[in-house]
Amino acid sequence: MYKDPKPKKITMDEWSVRFKNIDNKTIKKFVYYNNHDWGLYLQPPATFMVYGTRELRRLRFDNSLAALRMWGFVFNESERLFRARQSGKKIVATMGDLGTVSIIVMAFPDCIPFYPECIWWTPFFNESTVLLDLASELGAPEAACFSRAALAAFVKKAYFPKPDYIFASTGATCDDYSCIMQSIEHLGYDFMWLEVPLRRSPAKHVSMDSLVKTKNGFEYPRRFEEYLIKEYEKVWQKMVEITGIDDQNLLMVSIKKANQVRTLVEKIKRTTYQAGNAPFPALELMTIEFGNLYGYADMDEWIRILEMIYETIVERTKKNIGIISEDAIPIAWVNPTADPYLLDYVERIGLRVVDTEYVINQALVEIDEQIEPFRALAQSFMQASLIGSTAQRISSINKAMRTGKIEGILITNMLGGSHCAMETKLMERLLKDKPVLAIDVPAPFGITEQIKTRLQAFAEVLHERRK
Amino acid sequence: MNEGNSKREILTPRERFGLLLIDENPDRCNIIPLITSHAAHIARIPLSKYYTDGKAMAQAQIIALEEYRHDALSFFSEVGIIAEAMGSDFDYPDDDLPVLKTPALTKRSLSSIDIPDPKNDKRLPVYLEALEYAYATVGDKIPLLAYVPAPFTTGMMLSVPNTFLIQTIRHPDLVHDIMKICLQAAIEFCYHIINAGGLPIIVDPLASSSVISPKAYEEFALPYERKLIDFLHRYDLDIILHICGETEPILELLPNTGADLISLDKVDISLALDKLSKKMRIVGNFDTSKIAFSSPSEIEKEAKEMVRKGMVSSKGYIPSTGCEVPIRTPIENVKAFINSSKEIAWYWD
Repeated sequence: MYKDPKPKKITMDEWSVRFKNIDNKTIKKFVYYNNHDWGLYLQPPATFMVYGTRELRRLRFDNSLAALRMWGFVFNESERLFRARQSGKKIVATMGDLGTVSIIVMAFPDCIPFYPECIWWTPFFNESTVLLDLASELGAPEAACFSRAALAAFVKKAYFPKPDYIFASTGATCDDYSCIMQSIEHLGYDFMWLEVPLRRSPAKHVSMDSLVKTKNGFEYPRRFEEYLIKEYEKVWQKMVEITGIDDQNLLMVSIKKANQVRTLVEKIKRTTYQAGNAPFPALELMTIEFGNLYGYADMDEWIRILEMIYETIVERTKKNIGIISEDAIPIAWVNPTADPYLLDYVERIGLRVVDTEYVINQALVEIDEQIEPFRALAQSFMQASLIGSTAQRISSINKAMRTGKIEGILITNMLGGSHCAMETKLMERLLKDKPVLAIDVPAPFGITEQIKTRLQAFAEVLHERRK
Repeated sequence: MNEGNSKREILTPRERFGLLLIDENPDRCNIIPLITSHAAHIARIPLSKYYTDGKAMAQAQIIALEEYRHDALSFFSEVGIIAEAMGSDFDYPDDDLPVLKTPALTKRSLSSIDIPDPKNDKRLPVYLEALEYAYATVGDKIPLLAYVPAPFTTGMMLSVPNTFLIQTIRHPDLVHDIMKICLQAAIEFCYHIINAGGLPIIVDPLASSSVISPKAYEEFALPYERKLIDFLHRYDLDIILHICGETEPILELLPNTGADLISLDKVDISLALDKLSKKMRIVGNFDTSKIAFSSPSEIEKEAKEMVRKGMVSSKGYIPSTGCEVPIRTPIENVKAFINSSKEIAWYWD
C-alpha cells in the first residue's frame, strides 16, 4: 500500500514520479458505482492531461493518496455520467439552485443528479475557449458568466449525456445562468422550472406575514417556506412520474446522506482552517466544498473519499505539519474562482485561505432530519447566507475579520454573474475598513502578470500590516 | 472544419475522440489517416529537419492539420528511434527518413546497453519537444498520438535484422533478454510522452506476418506488447496497437495484447470486423499504395466503401490508412480520402 510522504504541494510531473510507486492493487481498489470492470479512477494528473486538461501542467497538488483519489474521481466525472447512462441509470440535470433539488433526485434509485453549470471550470482546466466560443455563437455573449459553457456542452453532447430530465431553478439564483437555462430549454430538452425565493424580512405593513427566524438569525416570511415546499413537491411528483416510484422514506435516506457529506465537509473545513499549519491546499478544499452539490455523480464513493481526506487532514494536524509556509496570512475568499490556478497561486505568495463564500452555502447547511422532509429542505435552503442580502452573505466573514481570524478578503469576480458585477461594489462598501482585493477573473489562460502583481501587492500589504 | 460535407461539425477532434473512448457514438467517425512524415512534405521542410527538430515536426503536423482537418496528429518518423537511443547508428539522408547503419548489438554486448533517457538521448527529445509544442498550441482541440515502437520492432533495430530473426529460432532466450530491455526502454519513453501530453500508440510493424510467423509473434512480440499496454493501462489510457503489413494469420491473437484499438493494414476489413469488432475498436485500413497513386475519384469511391463497412463495428471505427501516408502523396489524394470519409461517416443526424 502506498504510504503518504511528508505533506507538500507537488507538480504534475512529481505526481507522475510518485504514481510509479503505487501498486496495481491500490489502483484497482478505488472504483465508482462499485463497478470493478470500468469504474477505476485512481489516475495521476498526467492521464487527464493526455485527454486535454492542460492547466494541470501549471498547478500544484497535494501529495497525499487521498488527494490523488479525489482528483481522479473529480476529473473522471464526465466518463462516469456516460457510464451511468450506459448502465441504465437516469441522468437528471438539476440547474440553478445549487444544493437542494439534487437531494430529491438522489432519493430515487438509479437516478443521478448533476449540475451542468459546474462545467464552467472546464474551459479553465483545459485552457480552451472551445465551449465559451460556441456559447457565444449560440447567443450567450462574452459578457455573460462563464457558466455559459454549459449551453455549449448541451449542444455538443460530449461532456455529459443528454439528461432524461432537467429541473431549472430561477429566482434567487444567478440571473445570467437563468438566461442560459432558457437557451438550454429552447434546445428542446424536457424541462421543469421552479422558483426559489430571495430571503427578505417580512414587509412591516403586511401584518399577515408570520415570521420564521433561522438559527443564524436571518428572517423570512413563512409563506416563502410554504411556497418552496410546493416547488419541491412538484419536483418529487415529476420524479415519481419518471421512475414509477413514490416512497418518501427514500427522501429521508437521501437527506441523511446529504447531511453525512455536509457534516464531513464541515469537519474538514473546520479542522483545516483552525490548524496552526495549513494541512490541505485551498484548491483541493474548494473542490471538496463543491462536492456537496451532488457528490460528483456518485455520492457513496464521494463520502468514502471525504472520509479518507478527513483522516489525512487529522493526521497532519496532529503532527502539526502543513503544506504551505507557517506564517502564511489567513484570508477569506469570496466567490469561487473560475480559474483554479488562482487558488494555487495565492498559496505560493504567502496567503492561506481560511474562510470561504463560494455561492453554494445552501449546500453546506445541515438539514433537519426530525421534521417533514420537504419542510426540512426548504428551511435549510432559506437559512443559507447566500439567499439574502449582501450584508447577510458576508456576515460570517465580517465576523471572522473582526475577531482577527482573517486578515484580508479576496473577491474573485465572476464575469457577468450578478453576484459579482453588482454585488462586489456592495461588499466593498460593507467591508470598507478592511483590506479587500477584488479582481476580475479573466477568460481561460488569461492570468496575466498584472493580475499576479496585484495579488502579490495584496499579500505584501497584509504582511506589512502584521509588522 | 467543414470541407467535403454539408453537415456542421459541432465537435472538436478531441471531443470526438473522447466520445469514442467511452463507447459513445460521436457526431461522426474520427478520421485519422496516418499522416506522419507526409506532414513534412505538406510543410515543405526537408525530412531531415522534420525528424531532428521537435518544433519543426510539430509545426509541420499543425500545417498538415490546417490543410486536411483530420482528427489526430501523428508524431512519428520511423521505427528506429528507441534503438538509436540505445546505441544503433542511423544515417540521416537530407530528404529521406533515417536508415539503420550499424545496429548496436554488432558493436556492443546486450549487457552494456542502457535504458535510454528520453529527455537526452538521440532523437527521443525531438519527439517530446514536438509534443510539448503541439500540446501548448492545439492540444485543447485535437489528440496527439505519439508512435512508440514496440519491443520486438526495437529489438530488430538493435540487431542485424536477419540475424535477429534467426536468433528467434536458435537463441530464443537471448531474444527474450533483448525484449526485456526493449520493453523497459519503451515504458520509459511512454512515461515521458504521457507527461508531455501525448497518447502513446504502439507500433510493431516488424512483428507482422509479413516478417515473422504467427508462432514467433505469439512467443516474442505479443507478450511484450501486452506488458507495455498493461503499463499504459495503469494510467487508464486507451491504447492503439498498429501493426502494418500482413496480419490476417494473427487476427485472433490480437485481443490478447490488451489493446483497446487495433490499427490494421493488409487484411480484409470485413474479416477483421468479424473477428475483432466485438472486442476492440477497429482502425484502418485504406491501401497506402492506392492513396499514393490512384486518382482522387477512385480514392473517394473506395474510401466510402471502406467506411460503410467499418461503421458497422459495434465498439467503434476509425477510418484510416493501413500504414503511414506515403511521404510524397499528392495533397488532393489525401483530401479525397478525408473528405469522402467525412461525407458518409456520420452517426448523428
